[in-house]
Amino acid sequence: MSDRPRPEIVVDGFPRQRPRWLELATSADHKDLGRILLGGALGFLFIALIELLLMRLQLAIPENTFLSPVTFNRMLSLYGATAIFLFAIPLALGLFYYAAPLQIGSRGTALPRLGQIGVGLWVAGATVLYAGLLFTPSEGGVNPLAPLTELAFLANNGIDAWATATGLCTLGFILVAIDLLTTLRNLRAPGMAWRRVPVFAWAAAVSSWLLIVVGPVLLAALTMLMVDRNFDGVFFADGSGGAPLLWQHLSWIFFSGAYMLVLIFALAAIAEIVAAFSGRPLLGRGVVMGSLVAIAVLGTLAWMQNMLTAPIGTGWMYFAMLMSVALVVPFGLVFFNLIETLIGGAVRMRAPLLWAVGALSAISIGLASELSHSMVAAGWRLQDTVDSTAATHFALVGGAVFGGFAALHYWFPKMTGRTMGETLSRISFWTTALGLVLAFVPLFFAGALEGQVVDAYKFYDGTGVNAYNLIASIGSFVLAIGIVMTLVNAIQSRVNGPVAGHDPWRGESLEWLALSPPDPHNFDVLPDVRSAHPMRDIRAAIANRTSRPETQAPERQPVA
Amino acid sequence: MTPHSPGTDQIDTLLWIGFVAAAIIVVAINFALIYAVRKYRAGRGAEPRPREDGRRIQFRAAGALTAFAALVFVLSIVFTEKANEAPTTDSAGLASAEAEPLTIEATGQQWLWRYDYPNDAFSYYKLVVPVDTAVELELLSTDVVHTWNVPDLAGKRDAVPGKTHRVVFRADEEGTYTGESASLSGQAYAAMRTAVEVVSPEEYEAFLEQQKADIQAAQDRVVGLIEGEEAP
Repeated sequence: MSDRPRPEIVVDGFPRQRPRWLELATSADHKDLGRILLGGALGFLFIALIELLLMRLQLAIPENTFLSPVTFNRMLSLYGATAIFLFAIPLALGLFYYAAPLQIGSRGTALPRLGQIGVGLWVAGATVLYAGLLFTPSEGGVNPLAPLTELAFLANNGIDAWATATGLCTLGFILVAIDLLTTLRNLRAPGMAWRRVPVFAWAAAVSSWLLIVVGPVLLAALTMLMVDRNFDGVFFADGSGGAPLLWQHLSWIFFSGAYMLVLIFALAAIAEIVAAFSGRPLLGRGVVMGSLVAIAVLGTLAWMQNMLTAPIGTGWMYFAMLMSVALVVPFGLVFFNLIETLIGGAVRMRAPLLWAVGALSAISIGLASELSHSMVAAGWRLQDTVDSTAATHFALVGGAVFGGFAALHYWFPKMTGRTMGETLSRISFWTTALGLVLAFVPLFFAGALEGQVVDAYKFYDGTGVNAYNLIASIGSFVLAIGIVMTLVNAIQSRVNGPVAGHDPWRGESLEWLALSPPDPHNFDVLPDVRSAHPMRDIRAAIANRTSRPETQAPERQPVA
Repeated sequence: MTPHSPGTDQIDTLLWIGFVAAAIIVVAINFALIYAVRKYRAGRGAEPRPREDGRRIQFRAAGALTAFAALVFVLSIVFTEKANEAPTTDSAGLASAEAEPLTIEATGQQWLWRYDYPNDAFSYYKLVVPVDTAVELELLSTDVVHTWNVPDLAGKRDAVPGKTHRVVFRADEEGTYTGESASLSGQAYAAMRTAVEVVSPEEYEAFLEQQKADIQAAQDRVVGLIEGEEAP
């Protein structure tokens, strides 16, 4: 008995660190998932730009033969799906997912595995969309209208790949939205009532609701489309009880909702940036928060605004117009309060604010022209012309690219611990702004004055649009160069940017209390939240304490 | 682009109203933005001005915006209703279309428009109509969604399979008006154009007779070829 060796505990050092990519790919942490969405979105922005440039090359001169009609339609379909499902929505969701749990002082999300599955589904959707390049991508356009999408008219697998890809992405977005909403509902820091939630986190909740409402509508429509194509269904086929218009209603509900989501994201991010860089809290916080909800509701209810030329009753058109014209009030109030916050503030014109101001300007131009599109009889002239292309691009490039870049510059120090290069950022901003104006202002003229139609693979000589299109093509190259500069800036600054502190901008909300980059558990200690701007309170408490004699006992808890 | 029908006159007016409304929004927002960031650029150690966070200013802003939106909405309805009014045939127009508009079927198919006239004559691509006459097009589609779009004469209207959509116009001047389909309908979508040739009522009648005779002649020839077994 005694000659048996004693049990031994063997330690081979610390557990082996798994490779970085494996950690990232298997993580359910909202910060990792948010960075995957954000990084992926910026990558797909680059790909969308290439597709846009190919189309603009084709449209540089009249009756060009650079791209065949089929190739052009494929580029158009890929561009639309990439810009909406792989760039704009995941960019917004990625930043929401990264920043909102930090802003509400949460140590993680409520349903992390659900979010992980959601991001995985999005990656799968992106893979399916681009795997389509191996055989035949969709030829149906940005929103492929039934019955063109029926098997009889587009018999190859392109539409199936498109429907699968967008379906997987949408399902992924819904799962991420459920996780976000549950987190925002349940995991707010002590004292953070809804009225004290930062505007960006509030927007995350509004956007999540929006996705949970409109996402399933698109999923239903896509399911019907797949049944039509693969199981002899007749949902959208004319005759046999099918209704081609049903597709338009269902798809436009989703696309209108997605449009509003991008704008809500951008305006809320800009609200945070405006407050931080003007040195004072947002004017009319409650009004802005209520307006964001109104934008989500009215904007989605205005879906028939896209169907003014379709055979629907004039009463429905007036209903759609009422909803879109009513949007003037909430959008106007948000703009009013953002600008009023700047007026009289101590404005520091750093890169995030520069991009934010650019975003507000571009969005105002886009939305103002969308207003004229919603005025029914004027819409009969303007819709389906390149004027609507220009309006949509001003609003969505303003929201997703300018607003997205503003948010990227703003939260980049939190994500990486470094700020993005300021000089390159400024050059990039002015190039992008010039590019946006050159690329899309001529299309306003070509569409409104000459009626050049949308989505066409060529235009004809002698229709008076040659110069407009040539300028637009040159402008889109300038736009692309500007955007690529910021992408390069982001990649470079991750390792080489100037080191930022934990609170480089003197922001208002709790993400600036965490380390940069934050620990996996986000916070060691959390303050009691006593107002809508806890970081301002914390700074005031610290200033208060350091200015008084040291006799005062240190407080046991951080106070906010 | 110049309006040549009562409806497009109204569309043009509303378009200008929309342009003015949009310009007001764009100018107001962008001037305020530029003013804000130029005037209040902070120097070193600058402090933001304190501010009273009143409710009254929000109500005022909301009131002004609501008034603006209501004005746009009402004007849009007024001019849309005017644009929707069905025009009637003038004394200079086709006599037989005085009570009821002249009804022509326009069928969109990939990638061509076919027009069927009341006397069973038909034409492809080119629509011939009499001047100063109310013309009602019945838009149909045999395959996918097409948009009939001749901006000088009428607003855009979709031809959706299984539905009949109507568009009424009255051309006020003889000439040829062109248009392009405006819904992506497949590969040759950009080539799907149409032309409306507006002629005098007499020329229109003559065209119908000629077209009918030509079609009959062509049919007779085909029948003859088949019967003579020169063609399968």
